[in-house]
Amino acid sequence: MKSILNLLIVLTSLISFGQTEIKGQIVDEQGLAVLGANVFIIGTYDGTTSDEKGNFSFKTTASGNQKLQISFLSYETIIYDFVVEKFQSKVFTIKESLNTLNAVEVTAGTFKAGDNSKATALKAMDIVTTAGSAGNIIAALETLPGTQTVGENGRLFVRGGEADETQTYVDGIRVGQPYGASANNVPTRGRFSPFLFSGITFSTGGYSAEFGDALSSVLLMNTIDEPIQNQTDISIMTVGVGLGKTNKWEKSSFTFNTSYINLAPYQKIVPQNLDWNKPFQSLSGESIFRYKFKSGILKVYGAFDYSTFDLNQKDINFEDKIRFDLQNNNFYFNTSYKGYLNDNLQLQTGFSYGYAQNKIGISADKVANNERTLHTKFKLRNSFSNRFKLSVGADLFHTNFDENFNVFGYGYQNNTIAFFSEAEILLSRKIAFNLGLRSSNASIVDEFTVEPRISFAYKVAENSQFSMAYGNFNQTARQDYLKFDSNLDYETTSHYILNYMYNKQGRMFRAETYYKDYNSLVKYNGTQAGFDSNYNNEGFGYAKGLDLFWRDSKTIKNLEYWVSYSFIDSKRDFRNYESQVTPSFVANHNFSLVTKYFVSDWRSQISATYSYNSGRSFDNPNVTEFMSEKTKSFNNLSLSWAYLVSQQKILFLSVTNLLGTENIFGYQYANTPDLNGQFQRQAITQPASRFIFVGFFWTISDNKKSNNLDNL
Amino acid sequence: MTKIITIIALFVASLVSAQGQFEQGMGKALQTWKEGKPAEAVAQLERIASVEKTNWLPNYYIAFINTAQAFGEKDKAKMESLLRVAQKAQDVCNELAQDNPEVLVMQAMIHTAWIVYDPMTNGQKLSGDVMYILNKAYKIAPENPRVVFQKASFEIGMAQYFGQDTKPMCVQIEKAIELFATFKPETAFHPSWGLDRAQAELKKCK
Repeated sequence: MKSILNLLIVLTSLISFGQTEIKGQIVDEQGLAVLGANVFIIGTYDGTTSDEKGNFSFKTTASGNQKLQISFLSYETIIYDFVVEKFQSKVFTIKESLNTLNAVEVTAGTFKAGDNSKATALKAMDIVTTAGSAGNIIAALETLPGTQTVGENGRLFVRGGEADETQTYVDGIRVGQPYGASANNVPTRGRFSPFLFSGITFSTGGYSAEFGDALSSVLLMNTIDEPIQNQTDISIMTVGVGLGKTNKWEKSSFTFNTSYINLAPYQKIVPQNLDWNKPFQSLSGESIFRYKFKSGILKVYGAFDYSTFDLNQKDINFEDKIRFDLQNNNFYFNTSYKGYLNDNLQLQTGFSYGYAQNKIGISADKVANNERTLHTKFKLRNSFSNRFKLSVGADLFHTNFDENFNVFGYGYQNNTIAFFSEAEILLSRKIAFNLGLRSSNASIVDEFTVEPRISFAYKVAENSQFSMAYGNFNQTARQDYLKFDSNLDYETTSHYILNYMYNKQGRMFRAETYYKDYNSLVKYNGTQAGFDSNYNNEGFGYAKGLDLFWRDSKTIKNLEYWVSYSFIDSKRDFRNYESQVTPSFVANHNFSLVTKYFVSDWRSQISATYSYNSGRSFDNPNVTEFMSEKTKSFNNLSLSWAYLVSQQKILFLSVTNLLGTENIFGYQYANTPDLNGQFQRQAITQPASRFIFVGFFWTISDNKKSNNLDNL
Repeated sequence: MTKIITIIALFVASLVSAQGQFEQGMGKALQTWKEGKPAEAVAQLERIASVEKTNWLPNYYIAFINTAQAFGEKDKAKMESLLRVAQKAQDVCNELAQDNPEVLVMQAMIHTAWIVYDPMTNGQKLSGDVMYILNKAYKIAPENPRVVFQKASFEIGMAQYFGQDTKPMCVQIEKAIELFATFKPETAFHPSWGLDRAQAELKKCK
């Protein structure tokens, strides 16, 4: 009896003794009571949820130093350190957590593909399902506003800038030679297969301080972190064959793609405007190895490409056609690591090496060049909170270019070191700032640049926001000039961008207006940039315009479409220009309409793309005014049809320039007048009026459900 | 002597109560959920999870309740919040119970909810993942009724999209219903849900 009594006394004392009441109130940022927040002491069962007045109260037997957790859906969790015995009633303010849907995001100048973000204008699969793109990333991006379709070139021209004003990065590391080799006035295509990337960010201006040496634009492509499964992909196309293989293990994966392209059979069937001796042929492959650490990922990427062709091109200055043959070897290696050193500190580092070798024959002349590019990068990003993040980093770039023209040799070397720092500040879910600074020193100039980058976003309503961006950008002169004269200064520009964006489930509207101010552009004398030209940095120019974009996947069932329109006014006095005029690669009006329609009954996706741009200027030496004439407008309607034979087999058909419109990109004029005192000319046209592509894609995997539809 | 007995009794009592606390807590949380108070149930489960750091069950139910709510949520912002909370709890489960078929099924359900959230974007991206995860679960536990049911149910969705025959999947759902009858959860708190859903799905088959 005594012992039972004892036990009871001890037990009750144990229960009542050491019980402390923990109470307080939970309010939001506006001071309003929060109902239903979870309040408890971590590591105990003691806790409760707040009532309609935000009040909470519970008893605990815990003692000493403890952590009180306050959490509520869509609010940031608070962890409060306290001593139980000393706890006094307290009011806790919880902040709304900022997620992709409710928080403002700086979108000035930025288009994203694939990533789940406000700025996402393209979905991952859009790159390949856009009619007319034929799997070329660059061609798909040309349906976005702010770009120019330069049909005889094929590279990315952004807002009045030349193609080499855009830099390409894979996993944050620069790609020295992003394009395949091609002849003069024959379009090239992007070197990278869209299959490898999960997210693409395309900036048309005002981009982050992390990137530099690009006057107009950066194209950032991130490879897939983890493939879904083991699979083999086989493609049989009218232009060649391809084979891909992916193996996946517990922590790592390996993907290998290879393709052989030979245009000879196709060109036998479909007549070409070009006179080929040996049609384009290429053997290329790429492989990527990924390894997942506990809190990071390592990627090792390597690509090679061997291509060759031989053709005769008509030149207005000569009776006979000029033979042009080329052999190109390209190798690119990229390794990158991205991971967290602790909960908040992220390390990103990497290294790339690119080697390009060209052997070119122009009639009897032989040109051979080699380019080696290196990039290493080191970046740290610390998240001090959801609302304040700071990045610092450094880049090292090396370029070594040499060229032999018959017996003459020339070239240059450059080393650039750059430092950057950027703060991302979210003042509230409505206001965000990015403040950045970049400084770089190119050895050929030997002077540090100062490049501030500022952007700001303000959310005006639930679905709409304004962003602004300002930035200063420097770039070393083009390789075409540096190889003859390595005493050229940086070319510079400033961007001023104002963007409005409306985004609501399935519908997106963007309007962006900008002004760009170019200085220290390279000028030279003579008909073309040669070893005997005199070069200086006295060029200048500007570009201003308006870009509109509308995307809708909601209004009509199974139909997705987007419309882009750009107006640009740009003039430059650069190269060997006589005065400040609109350069030949700029068309004032650009329009694209892209549609994709899924027909379930036919198991087909049918897409159509229509592109238009107004005429481009060219110089007619028969009139006195420089660059005063314009070509007729450019029109292109392309169609594609993807048919799902079964879940693992796809038949794909596409026709580029279905109507066979005879587009003219410009004219080549004779160097000397004829007997009547007139300069004769020839039009620069498309290599063929249409391009027809048929492909069969087959995926073999453990799981019978996956297919190559993403890849089309 | 009495002292020793008292101490032993106390020790046993405290052990029993610690053990009992988990069961009591889980029981209460699941009861609260059944009473139609998911937020409170999640709050209770979060508290249990903060103590039972090596047990995947509290986090499993946090993921499950939030995902179930997300499926019925019309407000996209709320749906996103729910799925984020669900995935956070799921991450803990993935760590604690690797290759557990129940945990794999849960992950597949969260991905499926993301597909419902934005079919155009996430359908292409995640449907392969879902199939991979469910196939993996099926390899480990071909007799688990939830694995069989979820796999068949997702495949029905895919087949309908591509206009293919759903008969083989319906057979699988019938098989799942049979498996539910014999399935014995490890403890009272281990997952045992799904029979009613399978029966509802089977009705659609006919």
